Amino acid sequence: MGISVNDVILSVKNLEKFFGKLKVIENLSFELLKGESIAFLGPSGCGKTTLLKIVAGIDKNYNGYIQKHFSKIGYVFQEPRLIPWKNVIENILFVCNDEQRVLSILKTFSLENFAHYLPSKLSGGMKQRVNLARALISDPQVLFLDEPFASLDVHMKLSIIEDIIEKRKIGNFSMILVTHDIREALLLADRIILLSDKPSRIIGEFKTKHIPKSALSEEFQKMESAILSEVMRRWSV
Amino acid sequence: MVEKVNYVVGILFIFFIWTIASYLINSQLILPNPLSVFLTIADEITKQIFWMSLVQTLSKVLVVLFSVVFVGVVVGFLVGLNDILYEISRPFILFMQAFPIVTWLALVMFIWGIGWTGPVVVSFLSLLPNAILSTAVGIQTTDKRLIEMAHVYNVRKSRILKDVYLGSIIPQFVSTLQVVIGNVWKVVVVAEYMCGEKGIGVLIAWARQSVSVEKVYAYTIVIIAIGLIVESIVHRLVRRLLKNWELA
Repeated sequence: MGISVNDVILSVKNLEKFFGKLKVIENLSFELLKGESIAFLGPSGCGKTTLLKIVAGIDKNYNGYIQKHFSKIGYVFQEPRLIPWKNVIENILFVCNDEQRVLSILKTFSLENFAHYLPSKLSGGMKQRVNLARALISDPQVLFLDEPFASLDVHMKLSIIEDIIEKRKIGNFSMILVTHDIREALLLADRIILLSDKPSRIIGEFKTKHIPKSALSEEFQKMESAILSEVMRRWSV
Repeated sequence: MVEKVNYVVGILFIFFIWTIASYLINSQLILPNPLSVFLTIADEITKQIFWMSLVQTLSKVLVVLFSVVFVGVVVGFLVGLNDILYEISRPFILFMQAFPIVTWLALVMFIWGIGWTGPVVVSFLSLLPNAILSTAVGIQTTDKRLIEMAHVYNVRKSRILKDVYLGSIIPQFVSTLQVVIGNVWKVVVVAEYMCGEKGIGVLIAWARQSVSVEKVYAYTIVIIAIGLIVESIVHRLVRRLLKNWELA
């Protein structure tokens, strides 16, 4: 069955971005389908966050065409961006006024016992959970994730990845993840787009929807090796 | 407990130095001994004029304090939110800050003469620039990532102002409050001394005219004592308020 125009929720064509004279994104085009999850895999400092900010609508200063067929977004920032003087429940109420919904999402993320904690009293993983809960509270059509596991230990990272996979099954939202971690990308994405170093352009693509989301499976490990060898070849490591 | 003992020892040390110095100088006109000053205080607090003057000074201090904090925060907020307005108004505010108090006094006396208004206006104008600048700096140093987060989630501007900007200026607001409280007594008393009709500053001016040095010291000690008590109360309130502002 082919892809119909109605399935496309985001279309990006010939995207370019400059910081002064420095070109950070070059001729980048892609489409995101409803319910699809894409991971952009690129080296540190290649402009992944800039790309995410542009497609999320935070950065409006770019060249190219972006067509969006969504209005509600969730954004999981690299650092949790919680208001330091507000407790967990107040931080989520800041973006959504429905207290019952907030209480319910806190329960889903096992945060109900920390509802009245200030961010300074939470661990890095807890803060990132609140960041994710805040992103999902308004039932987003597209969830943007900006290297959200960068500062977390493996256990916490896997636990939050599981949370996201579960929520996607229920919410069926589309997702764009930017990361430099192959495993994160494989666990969360249906499609992995490989980016070059600055200026960022697409240098490869891997379809990973059929891959079992378990690092122990043979298929997962094969795909991981394939992406790793491509990365070694293309990222001049 | 140890802190309190050390504090009392510190105060006793001041009186010890004072006693030694007055003994060495041996001139009641320059530095009267602490005992005669405390006897003067004991005598003054029985007089109605002392209490009326204290109320006068206190009323001016409170009016100046509230008006400086209110106007300083409102203007500082507006100036801090707009970069162009900040750049335009900054030289004017710095100019106001550098303006000598005596010049304000002279101008105020030309306009209002001697009375209640002069000391209040002079004190207000002297302390306002600091309140405006620190509030504006508080607004400008607000974590831009929080503002970006709020825009991503389409949070209303009024809510961003209340929950992010206002929260961000609390530490600056508190330090401004402490600076203003620390200085408002001194400025009001000086202004009263120069252009007041009633108040502790006026009593100091009268004591100077009658060469009653003990009284000058006595009124000064009363003002210092009240200032320290008020500062300590505010400090405690502020510490309680700032509990929520402990950052990670």
